[in-house]
Amino acid sequence: MSDKATALIVDDEAQIRRLARVVLEADGYRVLESESGEQGLADVALRRPDVVLLDLGLPKLDGVAVLKRLREWSRVPVLVLSVRDRPEDKVAALDAGADDYIQKPFESAELLARLRAVQRRVASDKDEPYFRASHLGIDFMAHTVTVKGKEVKLTATEYALLKILAQHAGKVVTHKQLLREVWGPNAEEQSQYLRVYMTYLRKKIEAPGAKEKLLRTESGIGYRLVLPAKE
Amino acid sequence: MSEFIIASLLIAFVTAASFALEPLTGYLSIALLYLLLVVALGLRMRRPTVLTVAAISALLWNFVFIPPRLTFYIDKVEDGMMFATFFVVAMAMGHLTTRLRRIELAERQRERRTAALYELAHQAAFASDLDTGLRAAVALIDSIFGAPAALHLRAKDHSLSSAPHAASTLALSPAEFREAAVVFGGPAVAEESKALSNVIHVVLQGRTARMGVLSIRPLPGRLFESVERELLEAFAVLIGLTLEKDHVVEALKRAEILETSDRLSRALLDSVSHELKTPLAAVQAGVDGLERQIGGDKPTATLAEMRAATRRLRRVIDNLLDMTRIEAGVIELKLDWSDVGDLVTEAISLAGDALATHDVKVEGAEGLPMVKLDQPLIEQALSNFLLNAAAWSGAGTKIVVRAWVREGRLSLSVLDEGPGLQNGDLRRVFDKFYRAPGARTGGTGLGLSIVEGFVRAHGGSVRAANRSTGGGEFTLDIPVETMRAELGEFA
Repeated sequence: MSDKATALIVDDEAQIRRLARVVLEADGYRVLESESGEQGLADVALRRPDVVLLDLGLPKLDGVAVLKRLREWSRVPVLVLSVRDRPEDKVAALDAGADDYIQKPFESAELLARLRAVQRRVASDKDEPYFRASHLGIDFMAHTVTVKGKEVKLTATEYALLKILAQHAGKVVTHKQLLREVWGPNAEEQSQYLRVYMTYLRKKIEAPGAKEKLLRTESGIGYRLVLPAKE
Repeated sequence: MSEFIIASLLIAFVTAASFALEPLTGYLSIALLYLLLVVALGLRMRRPTVLTVAAISALLWNFVFIPPRLTFYIDKVEDGMMFATFFVVAMAMGHLTTRLRRIELAERQRERRTAALYELAHQAAFASDLDTGLRAAVALIDSIFGAPAALHLRAKDHSLSSAPHAASTLALSPAEFREAAVVFGGPAVAEESKALSNVIHVVLQGRTARMGVLSIRPLPGRLFESVERELLEAFAVLIGLTLEKDHVVEALKRAEILETSDRLSRALLDSVSHELKTPLAAVQAGVDGLERQIGGDKPTATLAEMRAATRRLRRVIDNLLDMTRIEAGVIELKLDWSDVGDLVTEAISLAGDALATHDVKVEGAEGLPMVKLDQPLIEQALSNFLLNAAAWSGAGTKIVVRAWVREGRLSLSVLDEGPGLQNGDLRRVFDKFYRAPGARTGGTGLGLSIVEGFVRAHGGSVRAANRSTGGGEFTLDIPVETMRAELGEFA
């Protein structure tokens, strides 16, 4: 990642902005701040940040409304910051176009990892033929999956699921999105199939006995293929 | 009866007048006088009277005026024809005029009825409040039927309230009220009430429910005609509908108020949550920043303490907010299919470092059918059980999570090797802020109450027990929809 990446923090709390700035600058970001949703939108348009940290609980124009407007004309990666811990709030933000979320209070390392992941989207959209994460390898051209170098046989559905999660590696993918992309637009309510196939997929690709799982459940929201802390 | 007397007098008068006129006009014209009488009576009197008058007139004319006089005998053929014609014409006139009158009467009655219904609808439906509307309705009934009326409305438990509504102008005796209650609970089609008393009871029928009973006591000797009875029933339906409308409006208002207060407490919770967590986020980021400034991979003891304290504070805030949410009753279940194995794994990871020094075993979570529940809530409930077990049992001991599904119920148990519970505590551990003697410092006494709250929201129950081998056993048990998903069905 370029050291000159620019991050825009949109939060009405000055304290949070200051602290996020410290954390981000220490990691080599150039940091911009906006204290309201309206200003945030203007800053994205004028100053073209590489990534946006957006607080959901903004006064007046709240985070979800900002996202909806932003997504009409911009594809800039957005990481949502929220103190609300109800899954439906997060799902609403993700549906409105957020790339991922992180809950306040957060650990700095986690924040930086999430920020890296949301920017990665741009990279994996460019048809990269291979994907690697710890013991897992995927060859998108050949449709083959290897675990610790050994090929494993996946059904078409399992492969389709894994492919989507890998393309969004490090980021959460909502239940709705997975159902829609794997089973089609009419399957958004058929969550039971998703549960079954995730169970089977995990049996095939998770390293037995590993403490850290590759496929994380985000309860009430979706799943996340976790990238190792340092590659 | 009086009609007949008047009719007789009029016949006598016409006969007397005929005597005077007969020498001038001849006996044939007299028939016209009698016909005039029949027509006149037909416009005012009832049909039996009129027809009788017609017959008597014919006979009188024959007896008194047609020669030979004072006999019923008719001499000439043309007189016979005249008599027959007179008889037929008189009867026909009587019939036609009474029919005309009856139609006119019915028309007038219908008009009165329509006007009355309109009046009632107007007064009852557009009254500023229900009581005024009902008072107007009772006054209207009084003016139309000339009888006082009592209104008994439906009580909250859907039985008939024994206290009459304030608008009533009639007080029923206990026996009469019992009749009203029988009518209220009786068959849907209003029957002629076979009342022993002379009170008429009519059900106030709304569109979907019976809203009460209207009782009226007619004045002694006054009989209700079927038209009036119909009008009364129409009144009852109208009042019933008005009551029902009012009832629905009230219910809507209540629901709206409830929803507003729900939204309010949610907004308040969000705001409190924001106010508590924002400074905490600042502290957390500050600790991270300090650690980086000090540098090195080994955080100092002070930093580690701060980190632990932050985590603890966060857990306390989360617990307090969850408890408040439970108590405010704003928990909304989001039921979805869930894999029990996945749920248990996530609960363990949610408990995090607290379980680092324990040996956690999971039993029975594989191969269970899928269950429908609010996974985030049950995950957190199970995680609280695990935190509790970890807090009470020593490092290196075993904690077992057991899961099973039986007869539409999912049970999750956490078994530890700690000291177990005193008998008196088995129930009290779930009480808010209750802390068993010997509890470690730092807990809030809320963890298990939250479990109970979340499980209750699912319609389930929690229990604590001591294991026969020593140690505690905490179980939650919730009714669930289950499903065995068939692979391949949807591939």
